[in-house]
Amino acid sequence: MKQLVSGNDAIFEGAFRAGTTYFAGYPISPTSEILQRAALRSEEDPKFHFLQAEDEIAAAIATISASLAGAKAFTATSGPGFSLMQEALGWGHVVEAPCVFVNSMRVGPSTGMPTQPAQSDLLQIKAGSAGDYYPIAFYPHSVEECFRLTVTAFNAAEESLSPVILLADAFLSHLYELVDLEQIKTEIVPRSKGPLGKGQRLFTGTAHDKIGNVKTSDPVIYREWLGELKDRHLRVAEKYPLFEYLPCKDSNILLIAFGITSRIISALKERFSIFRPIRIYPVLEKELREVTQSYPRIIVIEGSDGQYASWVEWAIGRKVMKVPCLGGGFKLKWIQSQIEDRLRGEGR
Amino acid sequence: MMDRSYKELLKMRRFPHTWCPGCGIGSVLKNVAMVMKELGWNDKNTVAVSGIGCSGRMSGYMNLDAVHTPHGRALTAAETIKTVRSDLNVVVLSGDGDLGSIGGNHLLHTSRRNPDLTVFCNDNEIYGLTGGQAGPTTPQGTKTITSPRGEPYLPLRLGRILTQQAPYFYARTTVYHLNHFKNCIREALLWKGFSFVDIISDCSELNGRRLGFKTAHQMFKWFDERFHIVEGVRDHLQEDELGIAKREVEEVLKPKEEAKAKVEVAAEQLKPFTLDELQTFDGTEGKPIYVAYKGKVYDLSKSPLFQGEKRMRCHIAGKDLTKDIDMAPHGDDLIFKFPLVGRLK
Repeated sequence: MKQLVSGNDAIFEGAFRAGTTYFAGYPISPTSEILQRAALRSEEDPKFHFLQAEDEIAAAIATISASLAGAKAFTATSGPGFSLMQEALGWGHVVEAPCVFVNSMRVGPSTGMPTQPAQSDLLQIKAGSAGDYYPIAFYPHSVEECFRLTVTAFNAAEESLSPVILLADAFLSHLYELVDLEQIKTEIVPRSKGPLGKGQRLFTGTAHDKIGNVKTSDPVIYREWLGELKDRHLRVAEKYPLFEYLPCKDSNILLIAFGITSRIISALKERFSIFRPIRIYPVLEKELREVTQSYPRIIVIEGSDGQYASWVEWAIGRKVMKVPCLGGGFKLKWIQSQIEDRLRGEGR
Repeated sequence: MMDRSYKELLKMRRFPHTWCPGCGIGSVLKNVAMVMKELGWNDKNTVAVSGIGCSGRMSGYMNLDAVHTPHGRALTAAETIKTVRSDLNVVVLSGDGDLGSIGGNHLLHTSRRNPDLTVFCNDNEIYGLTGGQAGPTTPQGTKTITSPRGEPYLPLRLGRILTQQAPYFYARTTVYHLNHFKNCIREALLWKGFSFVDIISDCSELNGRRLGFKTAHQMFKWFDERFHIVEGVRDHLQEDELGIAKREVEEVLKPKEEAKAKVEVAAEQLKPFTLDELQTFDGTEGKPIYVAYKGKVYDLSKSPLFQGEKRMRCHIAGKDLTKDIDMAPHGDDLIFKFPLVGRLK
């Protein structure tokens, strides 16, 4: 039966479909509903554990610890909370704890504009924590996709043995759509990592060798370990080369947008070709190169000041035009006028 | 012959360990392992969690599944592991900087939620691993490399913080008072709920030498001078006492009953007001603020919320507020605090 479901509800149900048994969080708009639903679920289901932590630092640490203990775990937050979670995110990559971090983006920096939508945490997912790591991040654009991609994120986490990030925005979190979640078919990757209490392993954030001995001054062991981590993450990312491409025969202009902005500009699909990356990170390098080949002009429309555009430029090796929708004002008319401006500036 | 079977719980292949000669951490690790062995805790039923610092390395030397968290987060990690796997025993091995400073917020809230954990805090009053900076428990006046003129602030009193809300288990001991030390470890491991053992330990290389102690043993003698053991179970410990403070249930503090019996004033003796008369006492032009409640008139001039205003939220001065107060989120006890001045006609 079709029901009105919000993005937040769909994320929670998706996590439940994937087999989660642990949620930790701290109240923050726009993901508080996920926390509330987890609290209710923990009362109904004795196998489901829930922690309203004292801060996002604790929520993130709890998520990763729950994963080490053997539960499929997730947490949900917004930009300011995600900043606090960065420490744990780095730790999660080193101790190889599969779990999911949901970041529903709002206008930043800092408290920013609660709660206007934005897409400006892309650099934060990639490089918010110290050191080199290779996160995988997905970004849905509809309520149904919130559900599907949450399951995908859990699967990718199990395969890559790392925290996987599910992006959303304030708009999408509170977007209600008619969907029948029960009818959606999904594949679930089961738990692969042995839970705690099974041996004499050391899960440490310090550099270590394969049996868990701390090694803090051996570059060879470190390079070997990081190389393996990178290979595994890129291999898993390749399994999910998710994007959507809507070519328009009459246009030699390509619009690139994702998440809620792609939803808004889908009204322009008769005039422009549209490319929507779903796997935000690692960047869809090959796919972007192939698609952009036949387009002399590319416009990236996003809710940040050119964060994804810089990745596109890096991937395809040439300049693109940017339409930054800042301050939460995602209006089709305004975006349209901005596109016209850019094209006029090009001397059309 | 001494029983050395506790070594099964230690990764002897990784020895010699990383700590300096004379450090108290080795003693903490050994004694915790000895008591755990006695109680039958092993790699099948126990997980060790630690934070960052010299003391954080302890978990890596234990023959258990161990989790070495980022700085300060050991308690949160331990609590979660206990939540997800209630069949496992969870011990936290960490230090005063990790638990009291960077993890201070987690200490407050994890102890409040009272999960069944045992925390061993190697309290050496210094940040040792980073070179001897002043820590949260460094005594006032101590010279360190970040307090060259002496630590200006009072130290964090872990014992006072942790014995404010029951249930609690707080033990203070030192690495020198060995029997007492082992006894505290045993009692803490057996305690159902959050137990915290504050182990006064020495960092002779990076703290002791600067304080003027030539050897670790001199520091131990100093502990003996500073502290004395108190027998029996206490509610709280003084700063110079070693012992166990525990309590299972919170003492319910009831608000004290008003001692003076309220003198019922006969209705006839009160000054009668009509509603129109009452309305003139609305606080304007220096007049008092009167309101009526259940047929009686009260003087609310002293109410801080009415100051210079004719109205306080939805309550209007000079009116019969019987209905308003019955519907208000607060009780009628608020109005009884004010002097009774008359009755409604």
